[in-house]
Amino acid sequence: MMQEPQEMVEETVTVEEDPGTPTSHVSIVTSEDGTTRRTETKVTKMVKTVTTRTVRQVPLGPDGLPAMDSSSPMGSYTDSIDRRYLKNGERFITPQASSTLSRPYNSYNDSYPESHEGQYRPYIGHDGYGDLSDSYGSLSRGVGYRPRYAYVPGGTYRPDEGSFTLPSRRDTYGPVAQPQVPVGSSVDLNRSQPERFQPEPYGLEDDNRSLGVDDEGYELDPDYSTVNRRTSAGVPERGRPHKGRGYDDPIEPEMVEERLPYLHGGYAAPLAQPERGSMASIDRLGKRSPSIDSIRKDPRWRDPDLPEVIAMLSHPIDPVKSNAAAYLQHLCYENDKIKKDVRHLKGIPILVGLLDHPKPEVHRKACGALRNISYGKDNENKVAIKNCDGIPALIRLLRKTNDMEVRELITGTLWNLSSYEPLKMVIINHGLQTLTNEVIIPHSGWESEPNEDSKPRDAEWSTVFKNTSGCLRNVSSDGAEARRRLRECDGLVDALLHALQSAVGKKDTDNKSVENCVCIMRNLSYHVHKEVPGADKYQELDAGQTTGTGSSQKKKKDDAGCFGGKKAKGKKNGDLDRNFDTLDLPKRSEAAKGFELLYQPDVVRLYLSILTESQNFNTLEAAAGALQNLSAGNWTWSTYIRATVRKERGLPVLVELLQSDSDKVVRAVSIALRNLSMDRRNKDLIGSYAMGELVRNLPSKQQRSAKNLEEDTVVAVLNTIHEIITDSSENARSLIQTQGIQKLVAISKSSQSPRETKAASHILQMIWSYKELRNALQKDGWNKSHFQSVSAAPKGSKGTAGRSGYDDSTLPLVDKSQDNEKSGSRDMIPMDELGPDGYSTIDHRDKERKYKTSDNTGDASEKEPLKNDTNRKNINRSNRASVNLVDARDIKPQPVDSWV
Amino acid sequence: MAFVPGQPVTAVVQRIEIHKLRQGDNLILGFSIGGGIDQDPTQNPFSEDKTDKGIYVTRVTEGGPAEVAGLQIGDKIMQVNGWDMTMVTHDQARKRLTKRNEEVVRLLVTRQSLQKAVQQSMLS
Repeated sequence: MMQEPQEMVEETVTVEEDPGTPTSHVSIVTSEDGTTRRTETKVTKMVKTVTTRTVRQVPLGPDGLPAMDSSSPMGSYTDSIDRRYLKNGERFITPQASSTLSRPYNSYNDSYPESHEGQYRPYIGHDGYGDLSDSYGSLSRGVGYRPRYAYVPGGTYRPDEGSFTLPSRRDTYGPVAQPQVPVGSSVDLNRSQPERFQPEPYGLEDDNRSLGVDDEGYELDPDYSTVNRRTSAGVPERGRPHKGRGYDDPIEPEMVEERLPYLHGGYAAPLAQPERGSMASIDRLGKRSPSIDSIRKDPRWRDPDLPEVIAMLSHPIDPVKSNAAAYLQHLCYENDKIKKDVRHLKGIPILVGLLDHPKPEVHRKACGALRNISYGKDNENKVAIKNCDGIPALIRLLRKTNDMEVRELITGTLWNLSSYEPLKMVIINHGLQTLTNEVIIPHSGWESEPNEDSKPRDAEWSTVFKNTSGCLRNVSSDGAEARRRLRECDGLVDALLHALQSAVGKKDTDNKSVENCVCIMRNLSYHVHKEVPGADKYQELDAGQTTGTGSSQKKKKDDAGCFGGKKAKGKKNGDLDRNFDTLDLPKRSEAAKGFELLYQPDVVRLYLSILTESQNFNTLEAAAGALQNLSAGNWTWSTYIRATVRKERGLPVLVELLQSDSDKVVRAVSIALRNLSMDRRNKDLIGSYAMGELVRNLPSKQQRSAKNLEEDTVVAVLNTIHEIITDSSENARSLIQTQGIQKLVAISKSSQSPRETKAASHILQMIWSYKELRNALQKDGWNKSHFQSVSAAPKGSKGTAGRSGYDDSTLPLVDKSQDNEKSGSRDMIPMDELGPDGYSTIDHRDKERKYKTSDNTGDASEKEPLKNDTNRKNINRSNRASVNLVDARDIKPQPVDSWV
Repeated sequence: MAFVPGQPVTAVVQRIEIHKLRQGDNLILGFSIGGGIDQDPTQNPFSEDKTDKGIYVTRVTEGGPAEVAGLQIGDKIMQVNGWDMTMVTHDQARKRLTKRNEEVVRLLVTRQSLQKAVQQSMLS
């Protein structure tokens, strides 16, 4: 089968029998009986063997690729040689062996024997070699050098089948046929020392590692497992001259079978000196032992170690790069140490550089490796990616590629990166508009110019969308500036609302993408009454006392069914509450767009539908949080929203959610109710219908069925109760009627948490302040002492309204509920009391808090931003700036740059 | 990418065609340039050779025409619509890019990664 190549530039060193030519033995046996038998036995040598390597000129075909096909002898020779890898590593004879692999690479010709160049094992491009993998089924994945085919892509980027600079491993390649001890190949045999196996640090002892599947349960985007990528670190093979699956396949499997038996018979790889590190060390078989499987299968191979893999990332041959990247991805999977080592070995800039590589296989694998590296608790890797401009590179690639898988990888990596707080602004700066334009808008089904005839498109819940929405969810929690940027991003809010609307329509509200979108909406609704441009126009001084100024505006609602389309915002006056009968809504000549949609009353219906339908706790919490944010503040729109919630029958929905088992849901809903009760009618309704549920949520020692809620939740519920009984003695009466006093007294006396105690005492004091109720209380057996507690320095029932800095009565509670680390005393400090030193402590706590919320749930860190965020952030910045100004060392004129 | 005076400059370049975006009365490209023969080359963070007084891209607006066309931060601009940019003052460079009657500019840019890629393929 194998034939000598027709052309040889180099002499073979060893004598090799040409297995192709069968030798015949003719024997003549004369038997006793006089007959002569002539027997002819053909002996065909076993194929194989590679003791010699010849370098030959490879004629280049017209396209620059070696015209392997044309020269069949060479082709077949090469063919088998390549296969050889499978059998044993013969072909990687060390250069000393002086034979060179007959690889169809021209440049090998001359320099080969001298230098070690060219002998190396290219990684076999795994892509597209499905069959091949199958035949390797028995070989464990990820075990080092599994021979595979590397196809040399014929694309434009293909380097000129040039010399491979990675020297091959000085493997031993024992002769295939046992009996054949190549005499001549003495040089090689010199190396036939048993390989010294040493435990390999990066060996894949546990092959199962590569079998992990992407786990949807992770908050962060899980490492991209290599299950589907069966590119283990195959032995890098020099690319074949042809893309050859078709070419090789028929022979391949059988060759494998043939070869395999020899794998075990072989020698240990000869080791000259083990070298480490650079490319030059690829040839050494290293001190590491191959992984278990490879020992079993072929003791001569070992897996490349990490510096080698990283070196291979810069290899000229693309399949080597892509295989190295894939192997890196595999190594990094769930292995924080390796991720760290990759960073120390400066592998990350190389991977980022590969993102710009034109070949899909390369940038896909590189992106997969980066995704794995970016995942995990260690944020240094994320910083390293950002430092080598990884974020713009990812965005660039996202814009260029149409490959869905690559897009998933890119967005997954960005999701991971966005979970680290310092990077959030960077991501916004580089990628916000692109992510919106490339992913959010197309997948949401929103069209900026909706065609009135066609039905609105539905959203597609793709992985890319989920990843991108997760990334945006993270960055939206980064404070006021981030919120502003997201609100002002063209088309983002519109598209998100459209997507949510279509989710509600399809009754598919429990998926992760919906959760992410609602969280973004909640974050963007935060402080919307303060932060949107033109907000001050709508400020009302007194919540709940809005009197309509000016004429009532009658607005028509057109096209009420289609969200995100042309909707005029307006409300008919007739059924407005007497307090809000003429809301002075701005005259709209066009539909609300962009961030204005955040607070249009139509969103109320959307959030209420989500609250009604979804079972996902995070989604429920976010929707309630959004309503909470919108109904906070003294703002015309919030007044409007509060009324709209009531009119859309939202209050019962919220009350029902108080029965939820989930802490966060109960908390969010109760704070929402608290804000909503700033509206008088709401307060009455909530007082009558919700009091029972609220009281039921309070802990009680006696009640076995009482829910075991966290402190923050209990505090939230208590504050809600407080709010609804303020200014409303009927509500206080219903509190008494629902057996609430018992629980309150118990809490105020014996709760472990000072905040709970304080809140409960406030309520009790408030109740006592209603003189008309005292009779009822005393009839029940309560007396004054129960209601006047010692601990509370009474903030006064008007406390919430009295604080000048706060226009949002939920804010202190938000703080508390968001930050478990804070002690109770902090929340009582109004903003304006804090002096400059106060800020330093706040900064510290702020940082803690920020990181805490960031790290809590990985990417899902978008709890509602803390109220003091804005101010503190500003102070932070100014503090830092003041330090920088002092730097007088830089006296050189600043470089000029001009925008064009 | 440094040049030797008197010798022809060779570099691996990429062609980038940017369609300017109209913003009000202006046509913008969406990036900013630094450098020039009248500027201080040692302050250039992108150049390999700190005596290189060429024109470099210092910032790229996200989503702008330049980014969409493939321009990257750190690129050195060699030519604009055929006009050389390796030996110009900063202001001349700016003017060449912002001609009001040109809707499209065709640049030749070079960057380290291009150079490396070619070197690698030459070696192999």
